[in-house]
Amino acid sequence: MHGPKAVMILVSVSAAVAGCTSMGVEPWERDVLAREEMRLTTDPVEAGIDDHIYFSKEASSGGRGFGGGGCGCN
Amino acid sequence: MGSPCQVLSRAGPSTARQQLEAVATEAWRIEAKFSRYLAGNVVDRINSAGGETVEVDEETARLLDFSATLHALSGGLFDITSGALREAWRFDGSDRVPRESEVRRILHRVGWHKVCWDRPRLTMAPGMQLDFGGVAKEYAVDRAAALVATLDDAPCLVNFGGDLAAVGAGESEPWLVGIESLHPGAATPFRRIRLARGGLATSGDARRFLLKDGVRLGHILDPRTGWPVAGAPGSVTVAADTCTAAGMLSTLAMLEGAGAERFLEREGVRSWCIRPGAPRAPRRGDNLLDSGARAKDFPLKFRLTCVHTRPGRQM
Amino acid sequence: MAAIDAPAVTGSSERSNTARTLATAACTLLGTATTLPVVAQEEPDWEFDTSLLYYGESDQRVQDASLNVLARRLFPDDRVLSIGLAVDSLTGATPSGAIPQAGVQTFTRPSGDGSYTVAPGELPLDDTFLDTRYALTAGWQQPLGRLYTGSAGLSFSTEYDYTHVGANLALARDFNKRNTTVSVGLAVARDDLDPVGGAPLSLSSMTDVGDLTNRAGSQSKDVVDLLLGVTQVVNEKFVVQLNYSLSDASGYLNDPYKILSVVDPLTGDGIMRTPSPGAEGPLHEYRFESRPDQRTKHSLFGQGKYHLDGKVLDVSYRFMTDDWGIDSHTLEGKLYWPLGETRYLEPHLRFYTQSEADFYRVSLRDGEPLPGFASADYRLGNFDAVTAGLKYGWRTDSGHDLSLRLEYYRQDGEVPAAQLIGDQDPSALYPGLDAIIFNFSYAFDL
Repeated sequence: MHGPKAVMILVSVSAAVAGCTSMGVEPWERDVLAREEMRLTTDPVEAGIDDHIYFSKEASSGGRGFGGGGCGCN
Repeated sequence: MGSPCQVLSRAGPSTARQQLEAVATEAWRIEAKFSRYLAGNVVDRINSAGGETVEVDEETARLLDFSATLHALSGGLFDITSGALREAWRFDGSDRVPRESEVRRILHRVGWHKVCWDRPRLTMAPGMQLDFGGVAKEYAVDRAAALVATLDDAPCLVNFGGDLAAVGAGESEPWLVGIESLHPGAATPFRRIRLARGGLATSGDARRFLLKDGVRLGHILDPRTGWPVAGAPGSVTVAADTCTAAGMLSTLAMLEGAGAERFLEREGVRSWCIRPGAPRAPRRGDNLLDSGARAKDFPLKFRLTCVHTRPGRQM
Repeated sequence: MAAIDAPAVTGSSERSNTARTLATAACTLLGTATTLPVVAQEEPDWEFDTSLLYYGESDQRVQDASLNVLARRLFPDDRVLSIGLAVDSLTGATPSGAIPQAGVQTFTRPSGDGSYTVAPGELPLDDTFLDTRYALTAGWQQPLGRLYTGSAGLSFSTEYDYTHVGANLALARDFNKRNTTVSVGLAVARDDLDPVGGAPLSLSSMTDVGDLTNRAGSQSKDVVDLLLGVTQVVNEKFVVQLNYSLSDASGYLNDPYKILSVVDPLTGDGIMRTPSPGAEGPLHEYRFESRPDQRTKHSLFGQGKYHLDGKVLDVSYRFMTDDWGIDSHTLEGKLYWPLGETRYLEPHLRFYTQSEADFYRVSLRDGEPLPGFASADYRLGNFDAVTAGLKYGWRTDSGHDLSLRLEYYRQDGEVPAAQLIGDQDPSALYPGLDAIIFNFSYAFDL
């Protein structure tokens, strides 16, 4: 595990997240955010398919959420 | 009108602005004309006539005709003279219930059957009060929506504090509307409705009530007795061709008290009743405006939102 | 809670007197002759997402056709039940880990029941891959109180030599007017492998046909995943997400079918062997791979979605590092580009790079002591990959969503210079990959 690299990323990210508490919108300003295409995962089936393909062909997996299940392909 | 008003439009910015202006102008006109808080308007003239006959204009006459029809249709439950009861009842969640004698005293001044309505002349005993609050908001929604429809056929949703009318939208692009749950401060809708066309109105008393000896008294008063209707649902939402019809049906359903669901089923209207008691469990939801009349905010605040929402399939 | 939900009624003859009178009265009030009937419907109870996938690699390598169905049942109060089913049919061949040689190569099949040969200079491919996999998932999600959402799920999959069972739990909480959401999740899984012929002992030599002395029985592995995530609305048009995940796998982590060639340390040629008298078997020395029985992965994932003038740009980055020495970077971008109200295009670009595992070996050198762990699986090697694709989607009049997606995926890798012998060509020794992905999906409500 590359300690210094990971720690640096975590620290900068935490700092960014800490500044997040003042950000945001009022409930009535969510019209754009409510659109289907603004969801973080717009197509769960497609995301699952891609995750499965890359899990079988690469050494990394997941990131967005849980892998849906193992298979004998890696 | 006492509530935030919103116009949702799928048109381009300039058309949307036109739609907003048409809606706002009409809403402010109706409010100025029929608000019981403004001196000098027709309602003020009627309420301060002191027994004298007042001649009213065509629009007011139509509203009075409508109120009369509703009074007859509801067997006296719907009554625009019942505003006087407000003096005795203050629904602030406390247990301060008025005395029987106090209510009886005020009841002398309540009753549409005591009003002489001979179009276009209205004569009322001194001390009686007319209040169009139960019908003016839904009427304003329908009038505003009709004006928008003449401007353009771009889809538009007019929303005055939870009373809605949708015009122009095709059936494949309905508006996504949430019926607010009874849970205070919840952002989750109880149900989501896809409204493509027509009116949607909600009568509710989730927030205004009295609690005495463990009995919850809602703020819907039976004008024949002066007391709250027993067993009214927490809220009733009705979908109908017009917002006015929807609003009246939901009010009539509330006035039926425990028989609200039976009434709505008999009428065959599309409706949703929520009864208090069951805890609502909310989560991230769509933005909603409160339904039901609230404390008097004056003047109306208008907000225009241009949207392209498609009914979202939930994640 | 009692809720009345009368059936939708539009014909006036079905309305009772009060409603009809009221409708007429309203018309009179508004000064209109008639009104158009109301169109209001509750949100549907069921949502279905179906998908057909074809994945095909070039040069007679792996091909996969699959059908995926996700059904979601929506209950009042934002509770959701989801059920997913996937059927995958896999055919074709995959690199076994052995390297091309000057002479003909013969390999014993994993089952031990036969052998296959590979022509001189060709990359050895193992086609023991014909199989159908079935996977089932079930999930439940519901609000817990005003600001919390909980979810739980189960997963199951089976193929002829592999079974997976898993469970997961997650909790999310909203803050700051629901602009910030923090979530935590835990998943556990137990996978059982029953390789054809039995799991080979680590680094044992490939034996003749019919000889299963170097095999153990079935194996298993346990995986635990932990996920911590934050979602933040930055402004009306911009939302970001950051996730940290930790994954710990222990047990049998080898690929039971992968091997390494044993080569001469000076010439790089394979070491010859002769099969036992009367038996068929490999003509060169090969050893089955060996991976550690434990693997810990850390991932950091960030995503941002930005809405600009009707289009949505989605960019994400993931960094992964593990205790096998592998580091990877993934950078992905998608642009949702609406065409009118009902159609859209979505180009997609993905860049991936990974460094090789500490125990990655292109081949084993004869005469040297065996390393503790060794694998020639190209998926643990040093490579870059690119995906480029385009998706076209449209919505029908009845509100159903369809889409077509075509993507090209390419892997290019190299054997680390330190592992080359003599004048071996690094890219010739690395299999690489070229694949087409074609996906059709259809979503509808009931």
